[in-house]
Amino acid sequence: MKATLALARTETLRLSRNKRYLIFSIALPVMLYLVFGKQASATAYGVQFKAFYMVGMASVGAFSGALTGNAQRISQERKDGWIRQLRLTALPPGSYVVAKIIASMATTVPSIAIVLALGRFYGGVQLAGWKWLAIGAAIWLGTMTFAALAVAIGYRFMPDTVQPVTMFVYFLMSILGGLWFPLSNGILRKIGQVLPTYQVTRIGTDVIASGTVSMTSIVTILAWLAGFIALAVLAVRNTAETI
Amino acid sequence: MDQRGRGQAGAPVVSFDEVSKVYGNVRAVDGLSLDLRQGETVAFLGPNGAGKSTALDMLLALRKPTSGRIRVFGGDPYAGVKSGRVGAMLQSGGLMPEVTVRELVALVAGFHPRPLPAGQTLQRAGIADIADRRVDRLSGGQTQRVRFALAIVGDSDLIVLDEPTAAMDVEGRQAFWANMKAEVAEGRTLLFATHYLEEADSAADRILVINKGRLLADGTPSEIKKRAGARRLSFRLDRVDETFLLGLPALVNLEIRHDLVQIQSADTDRTLYALLDAGYRPREVDISSLGLEQAFLAITAEDNRAGAAGQETAAPAGQTAGYTRQHHDQAKEMAR
Repeated sequence: MKATLALARTETLRLSRNKRYLIFSIALPVMLYLVFGKQASATAYGVQFKAFYMVGMASVGAFSGALTGNAQRISQERKDGWIRQLRLTALPPGSYVVAKIIASMATTVPSIAIVLALGRFYGGVQLAGWKWLAIGAAIWLGTMTFAALAVAIGYRFMPDTVQPVTMFVYFLMSILGGLWFPLSNGILRKIGQVLPTYQVTRIGTDVIASGTVSMTSIVTILAWLAGFIALAVLAVRNTAETI
Repeated sequence: MDQRGRGQAGAPVVSFDEVSKVYGNVRAVDGLSLDLRQGETVAFLGPNGAGKSTALDMLLALRKPTSGRIRVFGGDPYAGVKSGRVGAMLQSGGLMPEVTVRELVALVAGFHPRPLPAGQTLQRAGIADIADRRVDRLSGGQTQRVRFALAIVGDSDLIVLDEPTAAMDVEGRQAFWANMKAEVAEGRTLLFATHYLEEADSAADRILVINKGRLLADGTPSEIKKRAGARRLSFRLDRVDETFLLGLPALVNLEIRHDLVQIQSADTDRTLYALLDAGYRPREVDISSLGLEQAFLAITAEDNRAGAAGQETAAPAGQTAGYTRQHHDQAKEMAR
């Protein structure tokens, strides 16, 4: 466990030194919020637009960080033979993946905190203290489903292919999940509401609007998490002899 | 220095028992049996594609044998690796980028139950001067030394190196083996694969020659040379009688160019005396030692011919093994 944590610490350090990662997980959502966050009159999902957009942007930063950083690295490190090298040490099996996920969770915290702080002090969103914590925790845990997907993609695809695959997932989940703009009642929302990204933002806006969370949101996210974990386990197993 | 048990006395550190690995219809490793004893420095010598890397992969639990059994410290290879008693450096092993050399070595040290201090490892691997450089900004030779550092940082009892000095210049290679000898002096067992023959000759006290997945020879460097007919007798002779020369005792290989005769022989004295007894008076007689390179080529060439002969069903009865006549250009090709 000590070794796994040491590896997780190093992985966190590496992620925080990676400019591309920081752009996607922090710079981009911050910039978008600064530009579009102050539409004072509009509303979405029963809350003010500035509150919805805060939740949306925090989710974008968190999920894209969990997705893009690890998928690319795992694939590259598999190709370079770093995973092979690790298997030749006394490091327990599975530590590599666990460390990647811990690093992902650790580096997502500041990206969520920064956007929420922006909503509070720039957007002027006023909430009870527990609601801030609940929203932050919901986004943090909800977007971690993508840490499992990142493992699956990293083990399944070569580095050249990882980029388009993660971009496809990124745009699909952001746009259809209604993170960049709210989904109006209709066909788009019917499609969008099966996505974990939509449900993560709905947990956020429901907490703000009524202080409650729908069971549908939680079940949907857990179902995706189970699916992504299954994909990750399969991908790791299939490559066991070729690493 | 360190005298704690690096292997049970008598019990082999590594043993392969009839180990095979088959990919499709290719036998990458074919019925390999061998034992490594504690404290030995053993070279795994063979041409590219001989099955060295596959054998090492199986030893390190990266691949499973198709049949046969491998034991490492008396247990299965996976347990051996995870106990931290094995340190390895593979050609296919990579490094973590975006960290410094020192950070990486310290990190991997932490994976082992009783590592060397990171500072000492940097010294031993000769990379103290580049400790603060980023791993992804090193030259090929420097990268190789960092990989070596990762192989020794666990203070392991068995060190496995696959072509450790590839990408190093001559100076780097010498420094590397000087460091390695210090490691082995502490009672470690070392197995390294190489196709640099002089490296096997100077660094190993035992050589395993492998070709087409099979073990062809196992002995000290001098035994290997002997086995291959490791001395060369050369002389000039007018009116060369090829048939007679091929019948000389202890002959392993014969080359004729005009009046120049070169014989590779397991016993040059006997070969020469037989020639003189037959009444020949050769000129410019010269007897020299063959390097391991020629010995190695002779052993693998013998094996490749035996394989070809086997396919044509029957080698002529009474023909001595390894008894050959090579045309000059073919021999030159092989020596390259």
